[in-house]
Amino acid sequence: MSGLLQTMLTFLQNYGYLALWISVFIAAAGVPLPISLVLLAAGAFSALGEFNFVLLFILAFSALVCGDNAGYLIGRHWGSRGLDWLERPGKWNRFIPPRTVERSRTYFRQQGGWAIFLSRFIFSALGGVINLLAGSELYPYPYFVLADTSGEALGALIPLLLGYIFGASWEAVGDVLGPLSLFILGLLVVVLLVTRLVRYMQRLKRAQTAKVDQSIDVQSSPAGTPMVDTPARPSGNLPLL
Amino acid sequence: MPLLSTRTKLVVTGILLCVALGATIFCAVQTVQAIQRFREEHALTTSGDVRTIRPWMTIHDISRVYHVPENYLYKWLDIANPQSVRHATLNSLAARYHRSLDGLIGDVQNAVRTYRKEHQSYLSSSRNAQGPPSLRRRET
Repeated sequence: MSGLLQTMLTFLQNYGYLALWISVFIAAAGVPLPISLVLLAAGAFSALGEFNFVLLFILAFSALVCGDNAGYLIGRHWGSRGLDWLERPGKWNRFIPPRTVERSRTYFRQQGGWAIFLSRFIFSALGGVINLLAGSELYPYPYFVLADTSGEALGALIPLLLGYIFGASWEAVGDVLGPLSLFILGLLVVVLLVTRLVRYMQRLKRAQTAKVDQSIDVQSSPAGTPMVDTPARPSGNLPLL
Repeated sequence: MPLLSTRTKLVVTGILLCVALGATIFCAVQTVQAIQRFREEHALTTSGDVRTIRPWMTIHDISRVYHVPENYLYKWLDIANPQSVRHATLNSLAARYHRSLDGLIGDVQNAVRTYRKEHQSYLSSSRNAQGPPSLRRRET
């Protein structure tokens, strides 16, 4: 167990619910803290009779949502200015074309909801970055709140419940959750790449078919005369028929 | 030009797919191993094995998990005022009493083992006092 986690657990044991709310809020705002493990431990402590499970859930959920909103607002206030600067052509920002920034904004507006929702409970390590990104990309706030609250309900409930169920073995559960979330992420990336690969193959096939059709069109004369009547080539070879 | 571009994209995507597949398989193996470790540890914890005592546990937690009275543990560790350390983890207890963490965990493990022995001998002696019916008949 890391020293940081040990310190956080001591803080949790000594100061109770307040310590939980503060540490969860800070982590959700973007500071990299092992908050899933703290929630697992809190669930285990509640199974051992030290905390009330329902109260833990309410506090953890509210802290997560507040922290996420803080991250979003920071991104919206300062991050969007940075992106605006990148969009303007200039001496220092010539490496990222303004069109790319605009395209990323459009893409995030279309697909960002899923990224926000999934990063609340499956890829929680990315949560802080996604909040800043959502703010920077000016993702619509009502949609952000909707995806965030629904995701965080699961994000708070899953570790607390697992901790409550497995009690003193919560550390081993935490060791499973890390590689499991990476495995799910890997699967998603594989599915995405396979989809892309199929699309490129189809595009390539279509392009090749079009090329063959074009070459047939070039070979046939515009008047529609048959191939057998074509004159001898300059090389002197006669046609087969 | 667009044909070449699509072909390049296809090759790059193929390479990325291979890398992603490799990473996913690696993560799958890690997950399976972690699940196995979890099952072993959970089995040890539920059976009450004292090796699973951890630095994050408080005396209260240990008494709940290993079924030993809290007062017995406080007495064993020579803690005069249990109320003041009720929420202290073994880690913070070790720091407070200037002891090594491993030494403190070892002491707690001994306390649990001793309590179980005392309790078991008490149980077995009470069981022996009753004795099997055939023996009792012979004694009389």
